[in-house]
Amino acid sequence: MSEATRPTRVWLRQQTALARRAAAPVAGFGLAGILFAIGQAGCAALALQAALLHRPLAGWPLLAFAGLALARAAVGLLGEQAAAAAGAAARRRLRDSALASLLAAGPALLRRFHSAALAAICVDRVEALDGLFARWAPAAVLAVAGPALVAGALLAADPFAGLVVIGAGLLVPVGMAVAGIGASVASRRQFQALQRLQTRFLDRVRGIATIVLANRAGDEAQALAAAAQELRRRTMRVLRVAFLSSTILDAAMAAALVGLALHYGHALLDGGVERPWRALFALLLVPEFFAPLRAYSAAYQDRLHAETAAQAFVDLPGAPAVAETPPLAVRTVEARGISVAFENVRLTWDPAVGPALDGLSFRLAAAETLVIAGPSGAGKSTILEILLGFVRPDEGRVTLNGAEIATIVPQALMRMTAWIGQRPLLFAGSLRDNVAFARPEATEEEIAEAVRAAQLTAFAESLPHGLDTPIGEGGYGLSGGQAQRVAIARAFLKNAPLLLLDEPTAHLDPATEAEVLESLRRLALGRTVILASHSAAAHAFSGRRIDLRNGRAQAPAERGAA
Amino acid sequence: MKPLWRVLGLSRARWPWLALGLAVSLASVAAGMALLAQAGATIAAALAGGVLAGGVLLRVLGTARVVLRYTERLVTHDATFRALADLRVWFFRGLAARSAGGLGFRRTGDVLSRLVNDVDALDGLYLRILVPLAAALLALPVLVGVTLALTGPNERLLAAWLGLLLAAAALAVPASAARTARAGAGRLATASAGLRVATLDALTGLREVRAFGGEGRMLAAIQARQAGMLAAQRDLARRSARAGAVAFLCGQAALLGVLIAAGAGGPAMVAVAFLTVAAFEAVGGLPRAGALAGHISVAARRVLDAAEGEHPLPDPRHPAAPPAASGLRFEAVRFRWQPDRPAVFDGLTLDVPQGTRVAILGPSGAGKSSLAALALKVVAPQSGRVLLGGVDVAGLAAADVRARIAWLGQATHLFADTIRANLLLGRPDADEPVLWAALEAARVAEVVRALPDRLDAWVGEAGANFSGGQGRRLALARALLSPAPLLILDEPCAGLDAETERSFYTALNETAQGRTIVLIAHRLTGAERLDRIWRLSAGRAVAAAA
Repeated sequence: MSEATRPTRVWLRQQTALARRAAAPVAGFGLAGILFAIGQAGCAALALQAALLHRPLAGWPLLAFAGLALARAAVGLLGEQAAAAAGAAARRRLRDSALASLLAAGPALLRRFHSAALAAICVDRVEALDGLFARWAPAAVLAVAGPALVAGALLAADPFAGLVVIGAGLLVPVGMAVAGIGASVASRRQFQALQRLQTRFLDRVRGIATIVLANRAGDEAQALAAAAQELRRRTMRVLRVAFLSSTILDAAMAAALVGLALHYGHALLDGGVERPWRALFALLLVPEFFAPLRAYSAAYQDRLHAETAAQAFVDLPGAPAVAETPPLAVRTVEARGISVAFENVRLTWDPAVGPALDGLSFRLAAAETLVIAGPSGAGKSTILEILLGFVRPDEGRVTLNGAEIATIVPQALMRMTAWIGQRPLLFAGSLRDNVAFARPEATEEEIAEAVRAAQLTAFAESLPHGLDTPIGEGGYGLSGGQAQRVAIARAFLKNAPLLLLDEPTAHLDPATEAEVLESLRRLALGRTVILASHSAAAHAFSGRRIDLRNGRAQAPAERGAA
Repeated sequence: MKPLWRVLGLSRARWPWLALGLAVSLASVAAGMALLAQAGATIAAALAGGVLAGGVLLRVLGTARVVLRYTERLVTHDATFRALADLRVWFFRGLAARSAGGLGFRRTGDVLSRLVNDVDALDGLYLRILVPLAAALLALPVLVGVTLALTGPNERLLAAWLGLLLAAAALAVPASAARTARAGAGRLATASAGLRVATLDALTGLREVRAFGGEGRMLAAIQARQAGMLAAQRDLARRSARAGAVAFLCGQAALLGVLIAAGAGGPAMVAVAFLTVAAFEAVGGLPRAGALAGHISVAARRVLDAAEGEHPLPDPRHPAAPPAASGLRFEAVRFRWQPDRPAVFDGLTLDVPQGTRVAILGPSGAGKSSLAALALKVVAPQSGRVLLGGVDVAGLAAADVRARIAWLGQATHLFADTIRANLLLGRPDADEPVLWAALEAARVAEVVRALPDRLDAWVGEAGANFSGGQGRRLALARALLSPAPLLILDEPCAGLDAETERSFYTALNETAQGRTIVLIAHRLTGAERLDRIWRLSAGRAVAAAA
């Protein structure tokens, strides 16, 4: 974990290259600011020289000084906004591409990842990358170009001053290399330790009810305090070394300043300087020389943040490789009366576990019902996920009305199937929004009809704002049975000819289950239905049965069709 | 700004450290100003008086500046870490005292993670606001005083000009930035929360999204929220940049004043010019700190609300002695979670005598979890009484109640820690054989034994390294470990297959002898050995069988 993997480094290098390109305007504004600062130092030195030599002061250096100050403020403002814009653009790009690949990879992802973890990548990890684009990349450019510009001006004005500052500047990387080799490794490790403590704290807060109800809040608080103190001690051990690199910057700057001041003092005493503005110019520019280096050292944290985030992006699942353009001509299928056939279908999710479907074959005529029974893990959901287009079989053919499923346009496939799972997801929004999710263009009457058909009307009327009551995240909580009715209403609204039911009553108590099954039976009328279930729901539907064991149909027993 | 003072007040124990950090940082700022001023003065003196004065002083100041900066960084960081550690623990204790039920039963992890981010935001208060502010308060009199001392009373106007501009850059501009940033920070928090909810919706609902062809709609919804967040951020960045530019111009105007006055002021003006540069550099970070203060102040308010808000169910002033018996009794309990929600219980009366095993059945939404919340003193009934061992829990300390009840809830959390650490939460003094016995009873010992690290295997975030059923059984083992005489199991077998469920109940019949057991479920398997079965219906309990 502590060492970045190769793909992570590659990813980081790509992003850094992008960041450098995006940072060009920011660095341009920064360089302009440094140029203006050099001009200002010249003006100020001229004005002070006049004072020192008791000569009359010309007006133009003061005017130029003021003008350059305004220009510097302007480029500073523009640079900062450009940096913020670069960070925002990069985050928008990363977030959109992460979301697009997650949405493209589809529901099969949820078998391997927790949705909260995926959401954290799309929200928090992307935010954490802001510093790489907005601060680190421009600072990295300016840390080289800025001092070079200042040193050039100094060399032109007074070669000695230029050499002194360059010498002090070169001390910085050398000194950092000596003091900092250990420190950068250690600070990376420390950064991770800090994040671990943060994670631990968050985890304890998430489970705080469990802790409190186990009467252990006091002990946990003490453990947290001890962990934080231990982390502080270890962090300080690292920081003692890590701060040396900033101290080397300070020391180099102080040395340059003191050295130049003493040098010019002696030179002036010896009468060797006929134009003292050079001395003042050099001294005024010393802080300007080191300012970009400081900014770079301050942005180093952003680089560390990016490294941590990079791992998450590299691990991000891409769209599955099979989702390439289908080899056969894409087609649509008549969306009335769907027949389904599986021919020798094989699919393996995880080679270590073995095949989920192992040569499954069955046929189902239009408007027939098929009940797939079997213990959990037998491959029931896999069948439905193939029909929904979430995943494609490794081998064998799946056809709808004779058309191979891989050749059907996803939009058309989506239109002909309705699906009800174990726990339907309710989105943040009103009850109406949640039903209309199935068909956003549905009219008010159609929605009301679907709500009525799903026997949701009485419940909706008991809510404070009827169908407009907010539900889902931050809204009104629905019981399992009520949520399932919302799913049924969605299916009624969608009115698709192929109905796929995946353990639709698994989490309901018997009374609610009976009511939901009643609604489901009405929904099933006139449609082709595939029901996966290991419970009583299986007996509520009459039709053909398959008993699934280890991905194979076991003695498919015919039961009298309704 | 009031929440910020309150947060500072919480760090009272660390004030000596924080003060030491401030002192070192002030010394370092003073040395920095003196160094630059002396560098200017050295040249001016050499030119004017023909002597090289202060060569030694320069070297001393240079060294002091470097050493003091280093010490300052160490001391201020150490002080911050100490104060932050205290703050986290204080926050945890406050939250624990107030939100036992709120968090476990209703609030989502998302709200919590925002709170954690808020606590994190507070670390800028000392390092990025207080320390530079103190530097500004030192730089102001030094700049004015030294200017007057060096140039004499003739330049009173210049001294006033410098003082005024420094005060503007260090105090007025940051204060105004803080004021405008506060509204922006509120908007930003709302926008980020919106983005988080929309993203979570789309990803949790990947199946629905695909099944209903909602990819485009969900992506558009997320992008709209993202645009809102980016706009709020852009607004804040613009304000912060503007404040920085205004402060910069203040410094430049001050320097221009020195240059204009230089003609009359003579060589001393060189030192004043350098001093001015140093003074404005010392306060350069403050305008941005001002914008940050607005953000931190919003965060502090939320943290304080969560950890210091009204206690939903304070302990009685003089709690009754905890009961020896462990029977549970509900008497004519009426309860609703919120005034505008329908009543969960409407005259519930239910008796669980000590040492009996009782099942409480009911459809989802009948209030089975509310029953546990009432018994654990997470919430209080609007009327009626809940008696534990014959004593009204309203008169008992919550800790005493919870010491006598072991609870396995639907939302029981598995911690990102080892199996052992997770189990010890139930009984800190349990030894190895006891832990294994609990794992056996919960029918999960086989799984743990197969792991290379066994009890020291990592559980993962929210039990991510285990399947739902296995995680559930680990939580069950933890509940069984607890020495409490009353055991409330809320759907202990949710997510387990029928065979495991049956075998668990058989084990429960053997292991939990002598304990009072309340089993909350929506159906029974037949393997449970029960003394009584109640059915919840219409807010009351009906005896179902004996």
